[in-house]
Amino acid sequence: MDLKTGLVGSSSSGSRELDLVIAGGGPAALAAALYSARYDIEHIVLESYQPGGQAALTAVIENYPGIKTISGGDIVAAMKEQAESWGAVFEMASVISADPLKDRIQIKADSSIYMTRNLIIATGAAPAKLGVPGENKFYGRGVSYCATCDAPFFRDARVLVVGGGDSAVKEALHLSEFVSELVLVHRRDKFRAEPYLAEKLLSCGNCRVLWNTTLKEIKGDESVEGVILYTPEGEKELKLDGVFMYVGRKPATEPFANLVELNDNGTVRTPNIVHTSRENVFAAGDVTDNDLRQIVTAVSDGARAASAVFDLMQ
Amino acid sequence: MAVKHIMSNDIEEATSATDKLSLIDFSAAWCAPCKMLDPVLNKVSDDLDDKISFYHLDVDESPGASSEFGIRGVPTMIVFHNGQEIERMVGFRDRNALQTQLENLADSKLV
Repeated sequence: MDLKTGLVGSSSSGSRELDLVIAGGGPAALAAALYSARYDIEHIVLESYQPGGQAALTAVIENYPGIKTISGGDIVAAMKEQAESWGAVFEMASVISADPLKDRIQIKADSSIYMTRNLIIATGAAPAKLGVPGENKFYGRGVSYCATCDAPFFRDARVLVVGGGDSAVKEALHLSEFVSELVLVHRRDKFRAEPYLAEKLLSCGNCRVLWNTTLKEIKGDESVEGVILYTPEGEKELKLDGVFMYVGRKPATEPFANLVELNDNGTVRTPNIVHTSRENVFAAGDVTDNDLRQIVTAVSDGARAASAVFDLMQ
Repeated sequence: MAVKHIMSNDIEEATSATDKLSLIDFSAAWCAPCKMLDPVLNKVSDDLDDKISFYHLDVDESPGASSEFGIRGVPTMIVFHNGQEIERMVGFRDRNALQTQLENLADSKLV
């Protein structure tokens, strides 16, 4: 195999012939790449939207075994470097469609077509939108989905964080180091986040939590100037400068809708960990219906998927 | 053509062209999506060299530029024509999406 291009053969139509295409660029794809390279499977990793995945946008990771604390960007960079050192082949390309063709899968990407015997879908998920008025209008003008990226622009500002899971609380803690005042609204009366994170937020000096509260509207002229909330006491208006949303994730599965069974929420159905409804297609990480979505479970999926491809090829 | 690094005092000159569009990528060294965007911008700048001039501005090196242009997140790409902002894109874009959007913009503005 040509290690620079991943080209192992060409069909008459000009497509590349491979044993495995790994779609995605986050921890699940990187682990699958590492294991595939070590199994000597002829492969290519198509780093689609957002190389490094959601993990790369996480400020601090403290729950990956063996590493006390590390930034998301650093851990995915280390994973990629390790995979490349074993011969993993990466290409920056977005998968547009994936269709079964006899015993192969035809993958159409930005500028190439790949014919592969096996596919690992590890395309992850993007932040979901809440769909409230003002959300789209003020995106990049006070509305953000990434505190790690945008917190420094809100130094000494007042911000709202929406959500109650690990991401919301973790990113709120990161934001609290920059802003003068942080209000977190959560639609329930307790957090879904890890108790350690929840306690840390509740004891944060410049943070306030409004329970059983939802965001109704984001207001402003050129940028965010305030919000209207639904609280148990009725509607309430708050003056503030930024809104950070952590209300779930939308799996990036559209190109694979004709290939494998999806759940109603768009995740790939994997009743038997990493195995999908098609024998030669596997799924790993946040794109699946796994109940726990962490880096540690994503890399486990990636390793299992590569191992399953290796077994299938024997 | 590579993406050219500029500071805030270069913006006026960089965006005044009438025969081409200008794109400024406002980014920061600590921003992961900005690092992801760099190779995408390099590729797209090669393909659209005849229509768009590409510039990179570090918001920490040029803090005044963030407030002047109302930047509240990075990466933010602003496209200019004849000194006027005509498009603003926030966050990472893959090569296909970015190139298509910029080609359409150039075709609609450059006669």
